Order: sequence, then structure tokens, then C-alpha cells
Amino acid sequence: MGAHRESTLGKAMRWATLSVVVVLIAAPLYWLIASSFKTPVNIGASPPQFIPAPATLANYRAAFEHYGFGRYVLNSVIVTLGATVLVLVLGTLAGYAFGRLPLRGVAVVLVILLMISVFPEIAVVPPLYLLLHRIGWLNSYQALIVPYTAFNLPFAVWILRNYFLGIPHEMEEAARVDGASTLRTVWSVILPQALPGLFTAGIFTFTACWTEFLMALTFDSSNSYRTIPVGIALFGSPNVIPFGTIFAAATVAIVPIGILVFVFRKWVVSGLTAGAVKG
Amino acid sequence: MDKTRRGSWRGSEQPWVRAGSRRAVGVARARRRRAVAVGVVLAGSMALLAACGSSSSTSATSSNSTSLNLADAHGTITWWASPIAQVGIRAALIRAFEKAYPKIHVNLTSAPTNTDTNRADLVNTISGGSSTPDVFMGDVIWPAEFGAHGFALPLSNYLAKSYWAKFAPGLVEGATYKGKVYGSPLFEDEGFLYYRKDLLLKYHLPVPKTWEQLRSEAVTLVHDGAVHYGFVWEGNSYEGLTCDFMEYLASAGGSVVNSSYTKATIDSPAALRALTFMRSLITSGASPAAVTTLEEPQAMAVFDAGQAAFLRNWDYAWANSQTPSDSKVVGKVGVAPLPTFQGRSYPGYSNIGGWNLYINPHSKNLAADLVFIKWMSSTTAQDILGKTYSEIPTVESVRLALAKDPSIAPPIKVAAETRLVPRPAGTPNYPQVSSAIYTNVNAALAGQMSPSAALKAAASQINSALAGAI
Amino acid sequence: MVAGIALSPQARSRAAPGDERRRKLLARAGWSLSAPALIVVAAVTIFPIIFSVILSFTNVNVTGSGFSIGAMTGENYAEIFHASVWRYALVFTVVYTVVTVVIEVVLGTLLALVAARLTKGRGYFMALLLLPWSMITVISAELWGYIYQGTYGVADAIFQAVGLGHPLFLGTPTPAIISMMVADIWKTTPFVGIIVLAGLVMLPQDVFEAAQIDGASGWTTFWQITFPLLRPTLAIATLFRILQAFGLFDLPFVLTGGGPGTSTTSLALLGYKVMFEDVAFGPGAAIATTTTALVLAGCLLFLRVFRAQVGAAKEA
Repeated sequence: MGAHRESTLGKAMRWATLSVVVVLIAAPLYWLIASSFKTPVNIGASPPQFIPAPATLANYRAAFEHYGFGRYVLNSVIVTLGATVLVLVLGTLAGYAFGRLPLRGVAVVLVILLMISVFPEIAVVPPLYLLLHRIGWLNSYQALIVPYTAFNLPFAVWILRNYFLGIPHEMEEAARVDGASTLRTVWSVILPQALPGLFTAGIFTFTACWTEFLMALTFDSSNSYRTIPVGIALFGSPNVIPFGTIFAAATVAIVPIGILVFVFRKWVVSGLTAGAVKG
Repeated sequence: MDKTRRGSWRGSEQPWVRAGSRRAVGVARARRRRAVAVGVVLAGSMALLAACGSSSSTSATSSNSTSLNLADAHGTITWWASPIAQVGIRAALIRAFEKAYPKIHVNLTSAPTNTDTNRADLVNTISGGSSTPDVFMGDVIWPAEFGAHGFALPLSNYLAKSYWAKFAPGLVEGATYKGKVYGSPLFEDEGFLYYRKDLLLKYHLPVPKTWEQLRSEAVTLVHDGAVHYGFVWEGNSYEGLTCDFMEYLASAGGSVVNSSYTKATIDSPAALRALTFMRSLITSGASPAAVTTLEEPQAMAVFDAGQAAFLRNWDYAWANSQTPSDSKVVGKVGVAPLPTFQGRSYPGYSNIGGWNLYINPHSKNLAADLVFIKWMSSTTAQDILGKTYSEIPTVESVRLALAKDPSIAPPIKVAAETRLVPRPAGTPNYPQVSSAIYTNVNAALAGQMSPSAALKAAASQINSALAGAI
Repeated sequence: MVAGIALSPQARSRAAPGDERRRKLLARAGWSLSAPALIVVAAVTIFPIIFSVILSFTNVNVTGSGFSIGAMTGENYAEIFHASVWRYALVFTVVYTVVTVVIEVVLGTLLALVAARLTKGRGYFMALLLLPWSMITVISAELWGYIYQGTYGVADAIFQAVGLGHPLFLGTPTPAIISMMVADIWKTTPFVGIIVLAGLVMLPQDVFEAAQIDGASGWTTFWQITFPLLRPTLAIATLFRILQAFGLFDLPFVLTGGGPGTSTTSLALLGYKVMFEDVAFGPGAAIATTTTALVLAGCLLFLRVFRAQVGAAKEA
């Protein structure tokens, strides 16, 4: 916002609001991480322990040694990266086509894509399960990568298309004058301009795949292919919910996303604005 | 400022699409293309639908029992089982089984711990025609639902009457639907009354034998500041509340449905007595109001933290309360059968929980499956469950023998004295019946409905559930 | 988050015949470029969705041998329309969506306005904002379940400490619904804030400078300048949030199981229960189809209103 002369009251209010916001957001996160260090008997302590005493790494050890959490992390990484890469590749091509090439009926396609992303997952899962079963893809990586790609493409295409729309046509004209083919144009001229949009679509897809639960539960139920959300949901036994271990695993699961999000924080914001020519 | 964004969600107009005859032709062409595409998709879907609708996979039922040679059973089978309370039970069982039957190898698939998710998963898997898992461990309330939909094989077609005779009374009945037995009881579970023997000793209180006595003792202990909460149990709006409710209902002499599952009998004076009493536990202060949000893990955590004097829970609670890393009340816990109402005979009724073994109808190795199931009811297996892991055995002889063993865990000893009541699971619409029970009971406990209104609502909902409504 | 540079249409309408051929070539290239994406989406989603819709009109019995599909019938729809639990789920889901989305957009905008002024540290602030959103929903629900627990939950302890007594957060319908909304708002507001922040950051500065020179107050600046310019961004954020909120499942599934009673059973959760607990795929598919139809209707309505607003704003 513009360089606005601000009163001290205004400034104080702003900092107060900021602090409240930070506390409200961080407090439950702190509770999650702190509770992961509590011993089982202190999880249910009343009054609650704000600082775990004794603090223990037993929950983390249990998550990895007893429940094989490392395996789930590996599976999540493979599935999520696979789907994200596919979404970015296919989405860029489609987004570019819809955003810059003279296609008729694009609006209809976009609306259909919107409708698809709206359909409740619950209804889609059983028929999808049948389909996957028929082609023998159950309990495999592709059982999740392909559906994740399909369900995240609509949003990615929307974002990327909006982003491509914002790139001035002069760039293409210049490339064409220089004699480049369409694909070449896309690769060396447009893509670098669209990088922020790619990062945005990438982060959204990554997060969506990393946290998806229902399909992962239904299609990849065997222990060797389970992803993190499903793995965590399976900790314990019917009458025992090991909160400490669950929170320990959850903390570990947040780390990669946290790092990604931190590294790409600027891109997320700029990518969402889909570029506009200033002034 | 004509370069400002023309922001509309549809994006900017594409400059090359302009009025004119060329455009009209192009649009018509595009429309045709779209129609073709849609047609192809629809046709493809119908084709797939037709194929799926009549999916036939070689079902194990095609082989009749006489052609099965159990002695020659071999191969690899998959066993689907959620983690059992203590660590290592499933692995220990598999190890012992493979030692006894070296020709059969068992692969364990760890099922979801949430029973409902577990069931949903199985429904998807089996209706999709998958031949794995071969054997699955399922809840005792599934036989009717699974039998009606063909999700499990009728084991009574393959195992003789003598096989079923060895189980404790009531268990096989619970696994029967329309005359066929679908599950083989693996280990049993039931409700117990856990109490803080140190507190009862200190305040000179006897182990309560009636519900009314339990209520007054709990109130006393809370008022005297001995504990924060008197009696904790599972009152949340979920299946577990149906279990608890059955216990009060049965000890008051009531029932939920008639024996032919055609009419609800829950709107009765006995049920009213039971429900009114449950509500009074909260209003008198014997139980915290929070009990309407407690499930097993939460109730257990409260008791383990030393905050409650009495707990109603399954048999795993014993081992849990005696594990130093989980509990602050090690050595201070006693186990007793559940109380009954004043004027009725002791002990009260414990609801039957536990797990059965079922066979997937699409399993390709029926012989090995049956051998596995039969072995699970052998003395070796039942001893592992009972002696090593304190799960209540389902085979009557083992149950009685272990109850006499001085070193056995208290719940198993007490189990020999308890009386059992099953949940009304003999209908494939049991989930709706149960939902009618626990939603209304929970509402009454929370004070939102009077007990009589809750029972009336439950009765009408159960009647429509029995008729098949959602 | 929306952009669109309209090149001067005059240039294009003066197109020469050779351009038409080129346009057709480009169009073909365009469809072939987008074909892989469209094929993947269609293959994985169209079939199940159509299957689901068809299923909702049939008498389907799910058995161990698969789906045995009976005659075409409207019975499933009749059944759900008569079920009070469905009518409640419908009202609940709509109200829940409206309330949470409105609160999230308002709070998110406030968040963005405050964050936009940050010069240093904005990156860190944004990273913090994205953390709740990136949490697995199931885990977030478990965490809040732990926080709201009736006897040892930290929320109970805090309320006691400030003298507000022992509210049973999940014990009765209204507190349960509010508690669930709080958990949802905590998780999603930061994300809405980021979207709005993105839009804010891209606004041209000269307009604000002009306003400041004219001596406009903060409030006026916001309503007359910022808000109208932010409309497209807010619209997109609201739209996608509405779509998400309508599919509410993970939170009630883990936090309340749809209870107490059926007071937090959303349409998606009801669909799940009917399909997988009652194993009634016909009514379940009917629930899914009606939910989608409703969301679509809601979206189209919203967009119509929005476009009218944008049109009105343009004329202003």
C-alpha cells in the first residue's frame, strides 16, 4: 500500500493486531509440537502441561521404529512429487493453450473443469476403486499419482491460464519474428516469465497431495504403499489413540511442507497475482 | 487506464473471437466436436458400467466343501487385521501358526484402527472383487451386514457343528445371520467395572454391586475430594454408547428389538429406568458432564491419570492401567463385574465386544483360510491370546481353565463370572439401529431431551431402520 | 489473482485472410497441447462422476460380487428428500459454508491489510500463515479434538482460568458447531489472507498516492479504492473457499463423528455414512449428486451477482 503517513495510534493498533494474529496462529501449532514431547501419562494430565516435563523423544522413536513412519514418508514423497510434476507439465501446456492460443469453447471447458473439482470425493471413490481394480493398479504408486494429477489439474490449469493471460503478447511476437516454433516459444520465452505461477500451482498441488486422506486410504491400504495421512490415522489400536505419537508424526510431516513453503513464500504471493502490467 | 485488468473470472475476452460468419461456422464445428466427445465418453461409461455390473470373479463358493482337502493346504494367504491392544499379538499368532503349518505362509495387512473406516475399506475391497485379503478380522457386529451383502463366506458351510460347539455361549449366535454362521470368534471382549481399590479401602466402601450403590459411592468420593470425577464411561454419540447402554438396559430387564427383528421394544419401563439412571449419574455429580463426549481412549486417560474412582471399559484397560508409562494408578486398580439395578440379580450384564475371523468370498485359497481359522480356535492360539496377552479367549474350555490360573490377568478371571448381552446386530441395518440408539441416548444424557422422549424417538427411528430407511 | 490484458481489439479485427489460416493452425496446436491434461482429467473423473450420477437413479445393491444394478428409479432421491437427517445436513452445510467463508474472508482481508504494511519480516509472517493450511486436515482435527477435550483439554483449562467455567465444547450441538467453525477458521483464514495479500500487493500504487494527496482517510481509502480493486481477488478466494467448505468431511469425521446426535453431520459426511456404513450406494450417490448440483447452483448464482457487481463498478 502507498507510503501512508501513519499516526502512532494507527501504528500501535497495527502492531497489536499483528501480535494477536501471530499468537492465535502459533498457539495451536505450539500445542501440537509441545504435546509430541509428552509422555503418554502426561498427555491426559489435568491441569494440562504447558511445557512437557519430562520431555521425551519416545514418541518420535515409536513413530519411526514401531510404526515404520519412515516408509510412509517415502511413499508420500514419491506420490506427491510424481503428481506435482505431472500436474505442472500437463497444466502448463494446457494453461498456455487456453491462455494464449486462439481456441474456441475454452470457457465451456473451464466451466466443466470447475464442475469436476466440485464433485464430492466420496461419490467418486467407489467407481474409481472399481476402475483401478480392473486394471490391476491397486496398492501401487500410480493408483494415487494419476487420480491426484487428475483432481489437481483443474485448479492448476486455472492458475496457470490466468498467469499466462497476463504475459504481454509482445514477447511472443518478438519470438515469432525471430522464427521460433510454438513449443520453442513456450519453453524459452514464456516459461521463465510464468515461473511464479508454476511455483504457485506447484505448492498448491504439493500440499493437496501431501494431505489427501480418503483416496490414499481406499486405494493404497497395504502397509508398503501407505502415505503419511493414512499412516498416522492408523497409529494405535481401536481403543488407544496415542496422541503423543500422532503429534510426533504430524510434526515430522509438517517439516517438508514448512521448508517448501518458507523457501517459496515470495513465489506463492507473486504467483497468485498472475501478473499485471503496471501503469 | 485502458490497460487495467479486466478482471472477470472467465478471463479476458480473446481478441480474435469476433462476430462474423466464420465465427458461427467455427462455433458450430466446435459444438459438433463437443457432442462427439460427450457421446464417446457416455458410451464408454455405459460399456464399463455394463462390465462392472455383472462382474464375476471365480468365487470360492464354487468349490464345494467335499472337494476341499484341508490336510493338503498350502500357499500364501493375506490376513487383514487392525492392531490389537497390545503390541505384537498378530505377529506372535502368525509365527506360532506358521510353525504348526509350515506349508502355509501368512502375510499380515494392518487394517485401519477406526472400526468404521476398517469396514468401509473392506466393503470397497470386497465389492470390487479383490481376492485379497483372504481372511479378515472383523467386529462382532458385522455378520448380519456382511452376510446379507455377501461380503463374507458362510463358514457354517465348511465347518461342522462340532467346531462351533466349543465356543462360549452366545458368541456363535452373534455371528449367525439367517441360520448361517459367518464369523469364527477369535477373542472376546466385554465391559468391566474398574475401581480404585486404594480409595475404596481408604473410605471404607465396598465394591458396588448395584448401580445405585455405585452412584452414591462416586458422589461421596467426589464430595470428599478424593478424586476429581467419580465414574467415567463412554457417553459420546458413537457405537460405544450403544455398548454401554445395552449394559444398563439388560440389567434393568429391557431389550431393544423383539427376537425376530421386526419391532422396536426400546420404549419400555425398563429402558426408561435405565436411561433415567444414566442421566442421573450426571445430574447427581457422580459422573462429569463431559462424559457425554468421552470415548474409550479419553475415559481411559482420565482414569489412568488418577482423576476418576470408577471406570467402565473393556478388558484392555487392565493392562493399560498397569503400564507405568501410561498410568499413574499402577497397583491401585481392581476389576469387578458390572453392577445391576437394585432388586435384580447380580452380576449385571456386560456387553459383548471382540473380534471374529471372516473369509473373503473371492479368496483363492479356501483350504488354507479354513486351516488358519481352525488353528486360531485351537488351545495353542487361545492360550497365546489369553495367557500372554490377556485377551479373553472365546473357546469355553480355555476360558474356564485360564480363569482358574492364579497368575492370569484379573479381567479374565472376572470374565468367568459375568453375564453377557449382545448388541442387536442381527439385522443388516444394524448401523442405522445403533445410530438411533446412541444419538437419542446421547441427547438425553446431555439434557437436550427427556429420557422418555429420547426412547420414543429411538423406537420410531429403529422401526424405520428395520424397514430399511437411511 | 485474476489478470487479463486485453490487447486492442482493433488490431485483430483488421485481420488479413492469411491470419485466419494461422489462427486455425494455432488452435490445433492449442488443443493438442491441452489434450493430455484434458484426457487425464476426463479419464479419471468423468467416468466415476457419470457412474455416480447414473447409480443415483438406480436400485443398486452392493454385494460381494460387485454392484448389481437394478432398474432405473427415482426412489433414492425420494428417500433422501424424506430423510430429516438429509434436510438437516443440507441446512447445516449451507449455513456452515456461509458463516465460515464470510468470517474467513473478512478476517483474511484484515490480515492482508495488516501484513501488507510490513516491510521486513513479511516473508516470515507469510510462512507462518501458510503452516496451518499445510497441515493434514485429519491431524488438525485430532489436535483440536485434544484441545477441546472435556476433562483434560487445554481450552477447558484456559476457560477455567479466566473464569468462564466448564463449557463442554463438543458436548451439545451449538457449542460443537461453533467449536468446529473455530477449528476450520483457524486452519483456513491464513490461506485466504495470503490470497488477498497477493491481490493487494499487485494493486497499482498511483491510485493510493492520489488519494492520499487528496487527504482521504484510511477508511474511505479502503472502501472507495482498495475494496473495488480487490473485488476480483476476493471473488476468486470466496469462490474456491465455498467449493471447499461445501465438501466438509475430515473435520466432523475426526472431531465429532457427526455428533452430538447428527448436529455436525455435513452432506459429505452423511454421504459417507450412508454409502459405507449403511452400504446403500444408491442413496449415497443421490446425496453426492444433489450436493454437487447445489454447489454448482450456488457458484453460478454467486458469479452472476459478482459479474453484475463488476459491471456496475465499471460503469461507476
